[in-house]
Amino acid sequence: MVQYNFKKMAVVPNRKDFIDIILSRTQRQTPTVVHKGSAISSLRKFYMRKVKCTEQNFRDKLSTIIDEFPRLDDVHPFYGDLLHVLYNKDHYKLALGQVNTARNLIGKISNDYVKLLKYGDSLYRCKCLKVAALGRMCTVVKRIGPSLAYLEQIRQHISRLPSIDPNIRTILICGYPNVGKSSFINKITRADVDVQPYAFTTKSLFVGHTDYKFLRYQVIDTPGILDRPFEDRNVIEMCSITALAHLRAAAVLFFLDISGSCGYSIAQQAALFHSIKSLFMNKPLIIVCNKTDLQPLEGISEEDMKLVMEMKSEAMKTVIGLGGEATSDEGVLLTMSTLTEDGVISVKNAACERLLNQRVDLKMKSQKINDFVNRFHVAMPQPRDQKERPPCIPQSVSEAKAKQAGDKEKRNTEKDLENENGGAGVYSANLKKNYILANDEWKEDVMPEILDGHNVYDFVDPDIVHRLEELKREAEEGDDEFEMDDMELTPEEQKTLVEIRKKKSLLIQQHRMKKSTAESRPTVPRKFDKDRKFTSKRMGRQLSDLGLDPRMAINRARSRSVPRRGRKRERSVDRGDPGFGDAMDMDVDTPNKKLRMISRSRSRSRSRPPTEVVPGEGFKDSSQKSQALRKAKKSVKKRNKDARRGEADRVIPTLKPKHLFSGKRSIGKTQRR
Amino acid sequence: MATRLQFENSCEVGVFSKLTNAYCLVSIGGSENFYSTFEAELADVIPVVKTSIGGTRIIGRLCAGNKNGLLLPHTTTDQELQHLRNSLPDHVVVQRIEERLSALGNCIACNDHVALTHTDLDRETEEMIADVLGVEVFRQTIAGNILVGSYCAFTNRGGMVHPHTSVEDLDELSTLLQVPLVAGTVNRGSEVIAAGMTVNDWTAFCGSDTTATELSVIESVFKLREAQPSAIVDEMRKSLIDSYV
Repeated sequence: MVQYNFKKMAVVPNRKDFIDIILSRTQRQTPTVVHKGSAISSLRKFYMRKVKCTEQNFRDKLSTIIDEFPRLDDVHPFYGDLLHVLYNKDHYKLALGQVNTARNLIGKISNDYVKLLKYGDSLYRCKCLKVAALGRMCTVVKRIGPSLAYLEQIRQHISRLPSIDPNIRTILICGYPNVGKSSFINKITRADVDVQPYAFTTKSLFVGHTDYKFLRYQVIDTPGILDRPFEDRNVIEMCSITALAHLRAAAVLFFLDISGSCGYSIAQQAALFHSIKSLFMNKPLIIVCNKTDLQPLEGISEEDMKLVMEMKSEAMKTVIGLGGEATSDEGVLLTMSTLTEDGVISVKNAACERLLNQRVDLKMKSQKINDFVNRFHVAMPQPRDQKERPPCIPQSVSEAKAKQAGDKEKRNTEKDLENENGGAGVYSANLKKNYILANDEWKEDVMPEILDGHNVYDFVDPDIVHRLEELKREAEEGDDEFEMDDMELTPEEQKTLVEIRKKKSLLIQQHRMKKSTAESRPTVPRKFDKDRKFTSKRMGRQLSDLGLDPRMAINRARSRSVPRRGRKRERSVDRGDPGFGDAMDMDVDTPNKKLRMISRSRSRSRSRPPTEVVPGEGFKDSSQKSQALRKAKKSVKKRNKDARRGEADRVIPTLKPKHLFSGKRSIGKTQRR
Repeated sequence: MATRLQFENSCEVGVFSKLTNAYCLVSIGGSENFYSTFEAELADVIPVVKTSIGGTRIIGRLCAGNKNGLLLPHTTTDQELQHLRNSLPDHVVVQRIEERLSALGNCIACNDHVALTHTDLDRETEEMIADVLGVEVFRQTIAGNILVGSYCAFTNRGGMVHPHTSVEDLDELSTLLQVPLVAGTVNRGSEVIAAGMTVNDWTAFCGSDTTATELSVIESVFKLREAQPSAIVDEMRKSLIDSYV
């Protein structure tokens, strides 16, 4: 937020520390052991590395100094001038320039010695060159010792400057020494500026902040100014002048001690006003007559009054220069007493209001305002129907509001409980504490999440009773219809009907299954019987279903089939297959205990039809999903028919194998060789 | 009354809480500070419920509700649903809906009478909103943003929308919702209004970055104190111009 923060600058070490820091860093960052017997190239490399590393460290350190110190030409002119006033621009630039030169020198030295090291022919020579290089670098830094010390002083001072933002709303307080400027800032902000009954108590700028109409104002207390030529002013006074000259977004309060207890007469103060009035141009200016407890404004002598009025008219001129509120003279001359706090707030309010008005006027004229028109517009609803839409505020809220906020007893909150019971991380709040249930004892009841492999909440149905009723009613109606149907049938016929219906539904089921799966099977002639479906056993079962004796047919089929190395032993009839039972024993329950156990342990909440949308699948609705399913099926249908393994299977079998069709045909046939 | 607070160093309080006229949902944090701020303010009047939705803490963005009901996304677990049903009074209908856009809080903005919704919501969801929350439903965008739930916050007394909403849009929306509207920000210029604050007919909670100007706009447009929305164009106009432009 604060654009100018000089508090984070790194410390500038003095020259001795500087050298120690760099050399120890070099020692740590480079290898330290080298052997006489090593190849000369590695010896050179070892020492070159030392030199280069030292140079790099020096450069880094010096560069941070150069970069971190503000450049007087680049910072806001207010800070530029303030730094010039405080530290003298020339001296400051010289010091930074020396640091820069040292950096360049060190770079050159390193380059030279690295070149020389390339010609070093023994360990001893190389070492001597390194020592010389480091020594020269250190000498360069030693020479800029005074500059470093000076920069460190500046750094310490600069980091204690108040963080003034030159661009935000500011109220500047100025005037002769000892007229009550610091008392005023102490009254309207929380800045704790020292107030003493002698001149120049305040020796630098001080900042406080105050609020007016939801906005924050920066209040700057300046040291007192004496009425003397510009060149004679000391550093302390120049701080004030700098602030007056460069803070554009400021309202100026010119303090006037009408009692004369500060040691300067009204005439002297008026003279100061006129000598620095050029600095007030384009700023809202208020003349504040302070210390009315000692001397009310009405009681001053005639010529003094004339002087005051003259200043007032001057102040009005700066207002006219702004274009705004030229007619009203209120808020230009105000009286107050910081001792009795008489009029202090009205001075503050007048200053803030005038500054705000000026800024708003300026902004209203700018182009930018058009982008923000909607922000100052409150859209009020046009009635669109007769419906009443009342707010919903519980009775107790308005009652509590009516009651004074103070006498509401403090509630024992969860946070208090937490603090009593070990603090955050230790205390674990009970989530069930505030349940609204029919019976308070139920609050802590444990409800299992999974029971017997089923998700309990799938079976929680709030209106189950209602639905049961409905089902019952439906069932009764259905029964009636069925009976109506069967009325004319004999029991035998009924039995047949049941059989027929059963068979029908079975066929439909089979057909559907086939349609969904078999459709995309590869077309294989029936005689190959890939799935081993057409067995004699099956034929037997089907024939016996029709009421025929299948033995003959089975035997005949067997005698005709291609014999394969003898026949396997017939399987004994198993437990689950009671004879050639009816149906296809597709969904006959196997009485196998183990199997049943397995199926029980699976947790499956509900069967879903394939087209039902499961959240997270990415389908909008079931029609979209079924469409997608259809498409997916269609896309693989042809592939499956061709018995491809997948979409990567593009194998075209060799249709005309060369070895069968080319060459001489002495022995064998065309098909087989 | 508007209160400034933080959820674990985040100013997006509207993400971690849901405030309506009949109940307040607060996400489960590391300490009780956040919860207790709501508790101290509201617990005498309406239930303040700590919960997660789908195991996450961003409950304000995932659910939508008013005094009549609460809509939860399909990511809500059975346990959370049961916890909410147990914690909320019986007249509040808690309903989990199968909607592809699961951040319902971002897609639906509503008070007790009207709701604005994302333009791509399902028709079934729209019907569900009308039935469960008892509101008229309008498919709308706010300043070109389809996430209406994020970029506006309104109650039965007033509303605030994305700062780039044009004057014509403001008037149109205001007539649709039948409440006064302003374009504004929270949390020192954040335009995701509903993420930075949570509000009902008598109280508001804003992120702790909210400036005094923003807070006073909020208090006047939602009529939280004596101030009326017209104060924004009268007394506060100058401050607003100076802080925005």
